[in-house]
Order: sequence, then C-alpha cells, then structure tokens
Amino acid sequence: MKIAVCIKRVADSETRVKIAADGKSLDEAGVKFILNPYDEFAVEEALRRKEQAGAGEVVVIACGSGASQETIRTALAMGADRGVLLETAALPADGLSIARALATELKDGGYDLILFGKMAIDDYNHQVGPMTAELLGLPCVTCVAHLDLAAGKGTAEREVEGGMEEVEFPLPAVLTVDKGLNEPRYPALKGIMAAKKKPLEVKPTTLGAPGLLVLAMIPPPERKAGRIVGEGAAAIPELLKLLREEAKVL
Amino acid sequence: MSNVLAILEQRDGTLRKVSHEIVTGARRLADALGGEVHALVCAAGPVSGVDAAGRHGADTVITATNAAFGQYAPEGYARTIAEHAKAGGYGAVVCAASAQGKDLSPRIAARLSVALAADITDVSVDGGAIVVTRPVYAGKALLKVKVVSKPAVLSLRPNVFTPVERPRPGIVEAVAATGDGGRVVVKGIKAAAAGALDVAEAPIVVSGGRGLKEPANFKLLEELAQAFGGRAAVGASRAVVDAGWRPHGDQVGQTGKTVSPSLYIAVGISGAIQHLAGMRTAKVIVAINKDKDAPIFKIADYGVVGDLFEIVPALTSEIRKLNG
Amino acid sequence: MIPSQHQPPLPLDQLILPTGAAGAGDSMELDVLFVGAGPAGLAGAIELARLAKADRGIGELNIGVLEKAEALGEHSLSGAVVNPVALRELFPDLPEKDLPLRGRVEREAVYVLTSGSALRIPIPPTMKNHGNYIGSICEIVRWLGQQAEALGVNVFTGFPAAALLTEGTRVAGVRTAATGLGRDGQQLPSYSAPNDLTAKVTALSEGTRGLLSQAWQQWQGVPSANPQIFALGVKEIWETKRPLDRVIHTMGWPLPRDAFGGSFCYPLAPNLVAIGIVVGLDYQNAALDIHVLMQRLKGHPLFRPYLEGGEMVEWGAKTIPEGGYYALPARRSGDGVVLLGDAAGFVDVPSLKGIHYAMQSGIYAARTIFAALKAGETTAAALAPYDRLVDQSYIARDLYRTRNMRLAFKDGFTAGGFKAGLMTLTGGRFPGGRIAMHADADAARREEADGVFTPDGKLTFSKVDGVFKSGNTTRDTIPTHLVTGRDIPADVARFYSHVCPAGVYEEVDGTLRINAPNCIDCKATDVLGPRWTPREGGSGPKYKRM
Repeated sequence: MKIAVCIKRVADSETRVKIAADGKSLDEAGVKFILNPYDEFAVEEALRRKEQAGAGEVVVIACGSGASQETIRTALAMGADRGVLLETAALPADGLSIARALATELKDGGYDLILFGKMAIDDYNHQVGPMTAELLGLPCVTCVAHLDLAAGKGTAEREVEGGMEEVEFPLPAVLTVDKGLNEPRYPALKGIMAAKKKPLEVKPTTLGAPGLLVLAMIPPPERKAGRIVGEGAAAIPELLKLLREEAKVL
Repeated sequence: MSNVLAILEQRDGTLRKVSHEIVTGARRLADALGGEVHALVCAAGPVSGVDAAGRHGADTVITATNAAFGQYAPEGYARTIAEHAKAGGYGAVVCAASAQGKDLSPRIAARLSVALAADITDVSVDGGAIVVTRPVYAGKALLKVKVVSKPAVLSLRPNVFTPVERPRPGIVEAVAATGDGGRVVVKGIKAAAAGALDVAEAPIVVSGGRGLKEPANFKLLEELAQAFGGRAAVGASRAVVDAGWRPHGDQVGQTGKTVSPSLYIAVGISGAIQHLAGMRTAKVIVAINKDKDAPIFKIADYGVVGDLFEIVPALTSEIRKLNG
Repeated sequence: MIPSQHQPPLPLDQLILPTGAAGAGDSMELDVLFVGAGPAGLAGAIELARLAKADRGIGELNIGVLEKAEALGEHSLSGAVVNPVALRELFPDLPEKDLPLRGRVEREAVYVLTSGSALRIPIPPTMKNHGNYIGSICEIVRWLGQQAEALGVNVFTGFPAAALLTEGTRVAGVRTAATGLGRDGQQLPSYSAPNDLTAKVTALSEGTRGLLSQAWQQWQGVPSANPQIFALGVKEIWETKRPLDRVIHTMGWPLPRDAFGGSFCYPLAPNLVAIGIVVGLDYQNAALDIHVLMQRLKGHPLFRPYLEGGEMVEWGAKTIPEGGYYALPARRSGDGVVLLGDAAGFVDVPSLKGIHYAMQSGIYAARTIFAALKAGETTAAALAPYDRLVDQSYIARDLYRTRNMRLAFKDGFTAGGFKAGLMTLTGGRFPGGRIAMHADADAARREEADGVFTPDGKLTFSKVDGVFKSGNTTRDTIPTHLVTGRDIPADVARFYSHVCPAGVYEEVDGTLRINAPNCIDCKATDVLGPRWTPREGGSGPKYKRM
C-alpha cells in the first residue's frame, strides 16, 4: 500500500494565545509547536495499514515554513518512510490554496490512500482534506472514526449529530481522520535515530492568491460576570426562570 | 445587489433545525447585500418543514430531488449545489458547520474554485465586502476575515445564529437533480446507544466534585442527568476521579476532557483552575456549592449557595416536572 | 519531628541493575551517553562532538543525550543571571548578540525587606553581576540542544533514565522508564517497554538531586565531607504593565529568621519579569510553606507595583544543591561514569550561580572522555583526569572561596549574615576549617502555625493554579511514582503538604493523600520525605521561559 499523510505543524493546544504586534497573528514567543494531534491519528493509521499489508510506503507531506521539517521528522520517527515539505513563507487563512499545492504534489504519486487529520487545532479550518480530494477528483470521507478496508473499497464510520454515519467508498480515496480511530504510538528510540537518515525533500512552493484576508486577530469577549441567584433550594424557581428566559438553555 | 444561497439540511425527509439558523444567517447577509435568500435542500422527495424557511427569511425554497439523495450523498449534493450556485450567480453560499456542512462546504468551495470561511460566528458587510468572524485556537482568539473570492462560501457555527422570524414569501418549488449520488455512499446512521452519552458530547453536563462526600452520592447527579431526558451526561472533577470514585473517562478538566455543552452544572466542585480549563467554554455554567467564596462562582453564570444534598434533589424534581 | 525518620531508603535494588537484566524492550549501543539535557549534558555533548569531528583518527562518535521532558528545556528552571564564561569557551566565535541570553545586567540592587519596607544595602561582593546576563534556562537549553543536534548528537526527549546498568563496579549505561502503564502498573495498549542504552561512558547530568547520581554514590560508597543540602526555589513569570529595569535581590521578610534564603526579580524583557524565592530546606518550622512565602512576597511594596494589573504566565519550582565545596562527592568520576553540573553539586550559593559551572564541567568531562576513548580505555583511572580538571579550575576555586558561607547560616540569618561578611573580607579564610552540616532531612522541625493564606486569583494563586501554569499535563492514570514511608503520621503528612509546592501531598483526616500527577519534578520531598522516581516520559511540567 502506498499511503500519503498530509500533516501540519501547529501551536500546542496548551498555548496561551497572545496576539502579535501586527494584530493579525499569534505571537510565537515561547510557543511550542507540535504535530497536529489529528494528523498523529492519520500517521498512525497509515503505519498500521502498511504493516497489515506487509509492504508499501508511507509518505508524509507538509506545507509550511522550514520549521515544519521538525514536524515531518516526528512523523518519520513514528515510522513513516520519507517526507516532503512544500516550503512556503506563511500559510494563508484559506485552505484552497494549500489544497492546490498538495494536489499538485499528490497528483502523480500513485497513492492508494491519502490521509489527513480532520482539522488542524490552530485554525479549525476543517477543509484542506476534502478540497484536495475534489481537486484530485478522488472520493473522500471526512471525520473517519472507524475504518475497514478491503480490496479496492472501504467502509467507514463518521460521527454525526445523534449517531454514527456508515459510509462506503471505493479506493483510492482521501480520508480525514478523527480521534478514536486509533491510539498513536510514541516514537521509539530507534525510530528517532532512524528518522534522521530518512529522506526529506524540501520543495520551494508559491501559493496562489488567497481568497480570505485576515483583517485582525482579537481576543474573545470576556465572560460576563455571573451572579449568585440565591441560597439553598429556595433559589431553584429563580434559577429555572433564568435558565429558561435569560440563558434560553432549557 | 446579490442573492444568497442558503443550503438547508434534512434527515429522513424532515428539515433539520439547524436549517433555521442557516436561513437566519443568510437573511442577515442578504439584507446587507440588498438581495434575496434562495434556500436549497437536497432530498429524495418532498421535505416536511421546508415551508418554515420562508418564516425565517427565505424568498424561495428549492428542493433538489434525486432518488440517490435520501441519505447524504457528498458528491451528488456538492455537484448539485455547485451547479446551482454557478447558474444563479450568487454573492454567497451559506451552509452550517454541522457534521454534514463541514463535509459538504469545502467540496462546494473547491468546485467553485473559491475560499471557504468555515465555522463562522458572525458575518457583516463592510463597503460591499463580506467580513466574517471565526474562532481559532480553540476559541482563545477570534479572526476577523475579509472574504475576497466570489461567491463567498460560508459555514455557520451551530447554536450561534439564533433563528429569528423574518417572514418572506418562501415560494416552494422542486427541481429534479440530474446525475447520480456519487462514489461515496452513506448506508445509514447508527443511532447512539441510549445512556451512552459521553461528557465531551452531551449538550448538558452535570459534574460532581469532592463536595459530594462519597461515591454513592453521585446517584443524586445521575438522577438529575436522567431528569434531562437523555440529553445529559455526568462528569467529575479530577479530585474524585483520583480518589477512584468515578471512571477516568468522566473527568472534566485540563488533563481530562474539554467540554463545551450548552449547560454545565457544577455540583460540589470548588473550581480549581485545572477544572475550569476543561469547561470554561460551556455556554451557560451553573454552580452549586456551600462555600460562597469558591472560585467556581467566579466563572459561573448562575450560582446557588448552599447544601447540595438539599438543592440537587429539589432541582431534579423541578426539571422532571419541566420535561413532563 | 525529624523528617529522615519517615523517609524510605533509596530503592537501590531497582536503581542498580546488571546489564542485560530482564524487562527491557529495545536496546541501543552508544559511545557516550549523557543523562539529562541540561546545560551540563548538552555542553558536554557539544564539546565531545566537536573534538571527534576535529580528530579524524577516532572516527564518528555515537553520542546520545537522554531527557525526561517531552521537549528540550521543559524541565529546566533557574533564576537566572548567567556568567557567560562557559558559553564563550564553547562558542568563542559567536557574537554577543547571538548568544541565547536576554540581555546584560545593567543595573542591580539588593534590599533587606521587612513586611512593609525595603532597605537598600550595598551589593555584597559575591553578588555583583557586572558582565553577567539575564537569561532563561529553558531558552539556553533549547538553543544548546539545537547546536548539539546540528553536530550530529542524538537528543532523545521524553525518555527518563530509571536505572543504571552495571557490570561489576562499572557503569555500562542506563535503562529508561516504561511508558503506557495504567494506575495499577498494568500495560495499556500504548505500552512501550523500557529501553536499555549502553555506552562506553555514561555522564550523569541529571540536574539537582539526580536519582541515578545519588544511587551511584551510595552504591559505590563515594563520600563527601558534608552531606549535600538543598534549597527550594519557587518562581513565577509575569507579564507586567510597568517595566522593570534592574536585577533585584532581597533578604529578610517574608522568610522567618531561622530560614536561609532570599528572593530575586529579573526582567527577561522590560515587561516580562521573573520573580522567585529560594529557601534552604533546613528551616525549622514544619508549617512553613515556600509557595505561600512566594505569594506573600508579591504583595510587598517593592514588587506589588510592578505586578499589579499584570498577568502571571508561568509558574515553576525546583530544588538547588547548596552544600557547596564540602558537599561535593570525593570523586565525580568512576568506572565508565562521570557526574556533571548540579548532579555533582557545582553551585555557588553566595553568587547564586551554577549554570556556567555546569557547562564548564560538561566541557571538562568531554575532554577527558575524548582522551579516554582515544586511548581505548574508560576505566575509573582513565576518567579520573576529569576530577583533576574541575579541581584545578575556577569551579573548585570559586566554591572553595565561599566554602563555609552558606553553612554559616545553619543557626539563623542574623549570625549567618555576620559570619558571611567576615568570610568575604577574609576571602573564605574565616573561620578556618569546615562548618559541619547535617542532611536537611535530619534537621528537627517544630510545627508552628504560619497564618492562613487565601489566594485572590489575581496577584496570588493556589498551588493547583501554579501547577496549571507550569504546563503540567501528566496523564492522570499513570502509576504513582512517589515512594512514601509506612504509616505516615498526620503531622508528617501536613509537613509534606507544606514542603511540596505543587499540592501533591495533602493531609486528609489524619492520613497522607497523594496527587501524583501534580508533581513537577522539583525533588523537594525527595530531599525531605517521599522519594521521587521517574515516570512516563513527557510527564511533569512544560516550562517555556523559566
């Protein structure tokens, strides 16, 4: 099986968000960058599928600054075979230009499966995977939480409101994966050593003009101060009234 | 002047509630652009409830019917909508950032060769340009973004665009969608098992802490959760999970699960910052605690000070009455 | 109450294993292994890699650095005002602006505090920082790690060393801790067995109160004139509204008279301020709580105006070896092993410095190891030149000059201050001889209530707030890694609850409760009570700018 995994370098979820001096982006001082956690599931799934098949190649592809090489190395340490960095200055706010660059790279790769995380934990864009699939003309299932593959086709389950949607699709396909699909492995010592020697190709890439322009990054509105409704069970009628009429959650 | 195409959702032939939010958002945008709202729903046949779209501001409601559209058909829906959007010369296409909308909207945008502004919480028009607000970094910051490609494809975060009644003609028509459903076929939806609601997904979470004094007392919270009729899950603070009172999967907090239900009821939880980190994004927080200085009251929208062993059973019986 | 009476012994049977002992998964052979990616281990690895590159004869050396933190620098915490001498020795051609330091110390002041006032005093000669730099040890370590990796050194983060692998009296490597264990020690699906790393030389650069360093000294019976003693430092980083333009040190309040220590406040940037307090762990009041002292300190009129309206962005704590010259192990080298930096005790308390000694010791160790590898022998005799290099260097010279200064304070601050002054005047010759010390755990404690502390959530914080700000996201279901004595009485449990700055220990209804995931690896209770052992890699704090 030849599998591509498209990954992203993102700020750690524990990051305390401070807005940079430009007023449009994250102040990266003291910020730790990691492999997007949903992409970890994708890498893990690719490795398991290759291991099950007994042969094949897992290629990790990232689009981003030179620092993404470190992120690719993390995936290589987990066991991926080689890496490709589509090196760009900064990533735009919209996913289409990234999807275009990835589609160009993937087009003639002969992949049986192309995996993405369902979203990146920084921009919550939730779109590069299915856009890439559309550009490649490949079938796509998003948010896969359970996956069975057989010769030439697969079935997947994805979470929807109130249940799990069961989906059938032919291969090759693009899948974006959700938490719960697997438990990603820790890179082993030997994997870390081996990762240094695995091929990592850096391709300078120019992205097209973005369709979204960031005007500003602003802090979220502060939670408005709460109040003590009352004391003891006597406060319940008032509490219910507020939940119903003011908060509108009942 | 440009019109807005609102993409509605149906399940099993019935319009989904989120559709009202989509129409509401689309109406707001169309008013700012000086255009009409055309609502489109893909289905296998007539959709019950489509007439309500007019009430929330749709000028026309089109049902695109195709035998393959009973279940969500990602490729068939995307093709139908993209063709319709192209033919109609719309200024914007508005979807929900629901499970279906998150899958569908990027496909539509890609087919139209335009950007997608996903999961937006606000939209406005500034000097003719569409400007949206969307949360990033798990809601720790908001981005204000100008959409420069046309049509603007937007997905609206659910539960944000509260439906507003803005009656319009809502002329209902049906068109036959040609082509097949596509290669990706949805076979059906397995309903989530009753009572298996996870704290991370439940719309209501009732959480307990050390104030419950002993594990057996969590029964009080389970009863309260049941009173909400299958919409609530029981969570726990780290202290009681560490003490072995509750399973680790129920833990809400920095090292447990991060939850953002529409209602979070914290019972006997003092509100260590680690716990707050896991639930501060809840829409409404209620705290019940005997210590009026407990930090949980600083973040709670509504607090009740007092003995939880008196308050919780009383609350449970009131909620039961409410839910009949 | 005497803490040592309740302290379990070091579990040597688990810490010293024969090479090839059952239980390991992967194994790996290296030429040289540094245990701990701090300034000592990384400086050593860098120097060694350079020596190997410059000398074609020896071929490529396989150098590894093990680190228990998930990423470089995340377990490193220091003040810090740094003497750049060792950085300059390691990077002689690097322009000043490229050093991983924040900025030169331009202004500094020392105060003696009372609860409401600050009396500025002349700067004691040992504390003058002319020519030194403000730095963040996290940043220094991250940078050193990058330099090391660029030289081909293998830096393995997320792998704590759990035991020494031995052959007779020789150290042959280490075994790492397992990952993916459940609360009761059962293997989870994510389980990954310990790894055995063997090397011709194992350099223990574990930092303060190093577990394997302690084990080696005990196992080999390596004495020191005095037992090592420790202080605990609690530190916060604040983004402030008001800029700070100088390095501040204080003595006196909020410490009681029977405790040795002081506070520091450094600008990392004009509006990014590090503030901390350091207290010797031989204090007498069992109810003394260093985290609480830290919280009180911030309310002092000297500091409050800077911090008020600002935001605490990071919190952390760590012990410091304070025993100085007389607490150094008689030898810091043995068969196949050397001890570096804080693990060896290379800290000069009167000047509040250790980072440059750590780096320098790493450089000397690298030179010795290189020569030993070239000669084809890494026995105790072949590594002994490392001790001689340290003993003839400024490390030993500085520590000798101030050999009794910290020790003078064992009977309280006033007498200590007087004696320390005389020592400075006499270049360390007063009082002659060695002031004998006992281990911190042997110092008797009395319990004397120290007032109630309620955090306001703005200027002052609880211990769990602190743990949160340390970035600690340790998995909650790991087995407890803290080994306590049997039947801990309530007063001792309360003592532990005060010693630990991270709220790991609580006295609940007369018994000891342990919240192990809170642990931030400061090692304070390892000094005074429950033993620390390593847990799953990546556990503990995630310091960024400490």
